[in-house]
Amino acid sequence: MMQSSPFNFRRAIIWIGRLVLGGIFVYAGFSKLLMPNTHLWPMFVLRFSLSMNISSFAQQVESYKMISPEASQVVAHTLPFVEIVLGLLLLIGWRLRLWASAITAIMVGFLAVVTRAYLLHMDINCGCFGTPEKLTGWTVVRDGAFAALALIMTIFAFIEARKPHPWTAPEKV
Amino acid sequence: MLFASVPPQDASGVSDVDPHKAFGSKTAPVIMEVFSDFQCPACKNLYLTTNRQLMDNYVTTGKVYLIHRDYPLAMHAYSRVAARYARAAAQLGKVEPVEQALYQNQEKWEQSGDVDGTVAAVLSPKEMVKVRELVKGGTVDAAIDKDFALGQMYRVNQTPTTVFHCKGQTYPYSGAMTYDILKQFLNQLLSQ
Repeated sequence: MMQSSPFNFRRAIIWIGRLVLGGIFVYAGFSKLLMPNTHLWPMFVLRFSLSMNISSFAQQVESYKMISPEASQVVAHTLPFVEIVLGLLLLIGWRLRLWASAITAIMVGFLAVVTRAYLLHMDINCGCFGTPEKLTGWTVVRDGAFAALALIMTIFAFIEARKPHPWTAPEKV
Repeated sequence: MLFASVPPQDASGVSDVDPHKAFGSKTAPVIMEVFSDFQCPACKNLYLTTNRQLMDNYVTTGKVYLIHRDYPLAMHAYSRVAARYARAAAQLGKVEPVEQALYQNQEKWEQSGDVDGTVAAVLSPKEMVKVRELVKGGTVDAAIDKDFALGQMYRVNQTPTTVFHCKGQTYPYSGAMTYDILKQFLNQLLSQ
C-alpha cells in the first residue's frame, strides 16, 4: 500500500512549528512570571517577585485599553500559565490537532490585538515577553509570521492525521 | 581609578542622597530607592496610590527610609523637563506639592508640554521665579544625571524600579506594586 514518508514537507513544517511555537510559548510564559524580577529566594522574596511580574504584565495588558482593569488582572494571572502548558503540550505532540488549533487561535488573537494597537499609534509595550519591548511594526510582522506558521502547522496536522502513520506496519493482504 | 564607577556610599549603603528628595529616618531598617519618570503612567499609579499609604504607615513610623530618584527615559519628551522642575522645587522644600501636581496632571502636560504652567499652579510667584532660575542654571541636571547613573548601575531598564536595601541585601524590583503586596513584602523584610 501507499505509505506517506516520515520526512515529507508537511511533516517537516509540523515539526518546525511544534519546536518554534512550543519553545516560544514556554519561554513567553516563563519570562512573564520570572522576568524581569528574578529574586527567587527566600520564599517570601519569590512570592513578591511573582506578584510584581504579574502586576507589571497586568498593566501592560491594561495599556491596550481593550478590557477593564479587573479583566486585565484575570488575563495576567492566567495567560502565562496557559502559554507554558500549551507550549509544553505542543512540544510533546499529544493531541496535536487540538493544541495546535488552540495555539493558532491565540496567535491570531495576539496578532489582532497588536495590529489594532499599532494602527492606533499606541505608545505602549507589547507585553509579549517579560522584559519591556516597545510595540512597533516589527512586533506586528513577527506575530503575523508566528500566526501564519501556527495556521499552516495546524492545517498540515489535520491533513497528515488522515493518512496512515508512516511507522505503522503495512496491512497484510 | 579602578573604583571610579562605584559611587561613594554612606553607612546605610546608599549613595548620593539628596535630602530634599528623601523621606523618613536615615536609620530605618529598610531603605527604598524609587527610580521613576514623571511621564510614566505606572510611576503615576505608584506615586498616587501605593506611596501615599507607604508614607503614612512605614515612612513616618521610622520603618522605611524612602528616596525618590529621577530616571527620565529618553522615550518621553518632557520627563527630563519635569524632573528639572521637581528637583528645583525640592531645593525650596516644595517637592511634595510639585511631584503631586506633575503626576496628577500627567495626561495634560504630556500633551501640551506645559510643565512650567503645571508647577506654577501649586507654587507662589516668588517660588516660581527661584524654580525657573534653578532650572535654567543647569545645576539640577547634574543631580538628575547622578540618579540616572546610579540607576544604570542597578541595571534599571524600566520605570518605576524600586531598590530595597535591608540587612546588607539589595533587591531591585521593576514595576508598579500595589500597597497590599508591598506591605506583605515589607513586613517580611522587617521580621527577618
